[in-house]
Amino acid sequence: MRIQLTTGVYLNVLSTAQFKTTRIAVHFIAPAHAETFAARTLLTSVLETSSARYPTQAALSAALEALFGASFGIGVAKDGSTHRVTATLNLVADQLAQAPLLEQGFALLREVLLNPLLPEGDFSQSVFTREQKNLEDYLASLDEDRQLQANLATQRLYFEGNADQATPSFGTVDQLAQVTLGTLKATYQAMIARDQIEIVVLGNVTDEQVEPLAQQLGFAQRPAVPLALSYRPPAAALREQTAFAHVNQAKLNLAYLAPSTLYGREHFANIVMNELFGGSPLSLLFTNVREKASLAYYANSNFDPFRQYLVVQTGIDGASRARVQTLIEAQLAKVAGGAFSDALLAQIKEGLLNARQAAYDSPRFLARQEFLHALAAAHQPGYAAFAAAITAVTKQEVMNAAQALKLQAVYFLNEQEAR
Amino acid sequence: MVKVSTQTDYPAVGETLHEATLDNGLRLLLVPRPAYHQTYAMFAVNYGGIDVRYQPAGKQEMVDDPEGIAHFLEHKLFEKEDHDAFALFGQTGASANAFTSTTSTAYLFSTSTQLAQNLTTLLDFVQDPYFSTQTVAKEKGIIGQEIQMYQDDPSWLLYYGIVGNLYPNHPVARDVTGTVASIGKITPELLYQAYRTFYQPSNMTLTMVGNFDPAAILAQVAANQAAKTFAPATPIVRGVGFDGDLAEILPYRAADLPVIRPKSAVGLKGQRDLEEGPAGTTVKLAIEVLLEMVFGDSSPLYQQWYDDGLVDDSFAADYTASRTFNYATFSGDADDPSALSDAVAAVIARGADQPSLTQARFDRIKQAALGKYYMSLNSLEQTAGQLSAQSFTPVNAFALVDLLKGLTLADVQAAAAEFFDADALSVFHVRPEAKA
Repeated sequence: MRIQLTTGVYLNVLSTAQFKTTRIAVHFIAPAHAETFAARTLLTSVLETSSARYPTQAALSAALEALFGASFGIGVAKDGSTHRVTATLNLVADQLAQAPLLEQGFALLREVLLNPLLPEGDFSQSVFTREQKNLEDYLASLDEDRQLQANLATQRLYFEGNADQATPSFGTVDQLAQVTLGTLKATYQAMIARDQIEIVVLGNVTDEQVEPLAQQLGFAQRPAVPLALSYRPPAAALREQTAFAHVNQAKLNLAYLAPSTLYGREHFANIVMNELFGGSPLSLLFTNVREKASLAYYANSNFDPFRQYLVVQTGIDGASRARVQTLIEAQLAKVAGGAFSDALLAQIKEGLLNARQAAYDSPRFLARQEFLHALAAAHQPGYAAFAAAITAVTKQEVMNAAQALKLQAVYFLNEQEAR
Repeated sequence: MVKVSTQTDYPAVGETLHEATLDNGLRLLLVPRPAYHQTYAMFAVNYGGIDVRYQPAGKQEMVDDPEGIAHFLEHKLFEKEDHDAFALFGQTGASANAFTSTTSTAYLFSTSTQLAQNLTTLLDFVQDPYFSTQTVAKEKGIIGQEIQMYQDDPSWLLYYGIVGNLYPNHPVARDVTGTVASIGKITPELLYQAYRTFYQPSNMTLTMVGNFDPAAILAQVAANQAAKTFAPATPIVRGVGFDGDLAEILPYRAADLPVIRPKSAVGLKGQRDLEEGPAGTTVKLAIEVLLEMVFGDSSPLYQQWYDDGLVDDSFAADYTASRTFNYATFSGDADDPSALSDAVAAVIARGADQPSLTQARFDRIKQAALGKYYMSLNSLEQTAGQLSAQSFTPVNAFALVDLLKGLTLADVQAAAAEFFDADALSVFHVRPEAKA
């Protein structure tokens, strides 16, 4: 159930005895502005490693151990045009631990989020310097994961001209270098005072139990924030980019605009189309590019409904780039032209339904459904609504969805030696 | 048809385990979870990446197989003369997968519908091998790509670098995928020979966790097995033995790779073959708690290193123990990889003399270990994975809780005295390539 604690601060409780854990998430949600991403990310590291009560990482770790090995982390993410900082605490269920871990967990969250270490009114300089360097090292090392490197570069290319979308949720090294003690404090104050707050609690708990604990976090009321989950990029001319690196396996990514209204009919048609095109092991990309032609170690597609963005990712031998791209486009043409059997379409839908049902066994997924429903009233958290919408998707709608895809960006990471 | 069937409650974890052994030796471990929507099933073989030397069924001489054969066999088993088993699962919407570890191979599916049909598919495709020259040749291309992808992963190279230092003459040091050269030697005949030797029902277990009726599952599996003909069971004679030899350790190697940050790994080789019963398992748990107490996030040592910039949060101390080997690795990104490996070595050299081994710390870390174990049981996949991994040992995964509860600080101190041996160390560094 969704409870308004005060204006702009909400509590969502999902009571279930299915799990051995209680999950508490506190989401701070703001409109996505690229220039804030690095500061918000650095803030997560600073809060995790220094609160007044737990001034060192070791002190916080010891407190978590005392809570039966609770796991805790603060992260950042983007959904469409929103950016969020999320603190997540996973506790053993009170019934299993035979201890009041829910109450103790909320107390810990209050210390970490609302009572940071501010020795002279600012975050500690030594913590700031250390965490800024660690984050800089981390951001610099992301390119060591070549698949990630290619994906981030594909996004940059696709969303060129819109920094809020082109920049990853954790920001860039350059933005990070601009952050000062002063801007970090201002970022923290803005987050605590102005972001929309959604608290999601899932476990063997009741509204009556959780509400007073959530109230005790003490968030003040705030003006409503205009938040848009959806973002539709303007159609643009095709952009292509080739980069070189010392890699044994080249990467070829194709990014498409996939027009659809969030949770509307096209949204579900896109989900089915993506699954058939490259989203599952039964898909045309997997079967024909990876398995039959043996041309790629991985070849799949992924649909981001919040940004109407569909990306095909492949890991290939750089020399076969042209063949692979032709083959990818041929698979898309098959979907658009209806050159797939009704039996395959039925299997694809069956797979989506089966996977969806399975997802209801995951606390993380269930909590995410509550969160999405809180931000988008059109989103139905339950299985039945999803199943009905997927089942209703027709072959013609799948073909239409594929025909509507517009290729916007092609990114190729090739072997240095091939230069 | 069913030789033994038992049902055991584990109140400490709130679980019930149904176990059965069939006439042909196949063991079943079934855990019903009525509140869940799906079921995980894992069909596992006590045969993995290290099993490259053995006596083929019915023969007296040892053979040496190419590295990577168990993983190759796993890939190939899905492909049949006229169909792909993967697609059979897909037709019902189930998802299927398989993996090969150093000591076992597992085939699994998860589904929320048509469980019986998928279970039959699993049992039948694993027990009906089909290897041809043509399909074996094609698979070499696919696995070759997989191997190449790992070659681009510096963390992978660091890991196999340090394990290679500890075990120059044991197959644990090579990835289960093998190399492009080694898998090039695989033939259908070698695959059939390995299959006949290891894929005997008495060398396999079926683990299921989820929404099902155990009696119905047992009846279905028993009927499925009774309808098949199996060669008489033969004893499995493995040629790869325990390696605890310190003399052969390579003390130091480094690699220059296109990385942004240097990486450091220290390896520590276990010298005692830990038996798989409760006593040996307790030693393994003690070493895991020891590493957490000395090197974990809440340790004074880690905090000092973190504050000094010696480590960042990529640092991890891990312990791996399995049939024929056990070792720990201490690894992470570091501006000065030598400073980090020197610091780790200095701690190891203190043996059991570790200031962080206090009773209060032990109690807290043991409680945390218990909590983490309970939490892992949320996931059907993890529950099935743990039960399956333990299924080839005398200690089942739910009984681990009792061993953990019984663990004492003295056990941890004894583990430190034995395991922390400065002569059992090795170091591997990954350095950024000089810019051209």
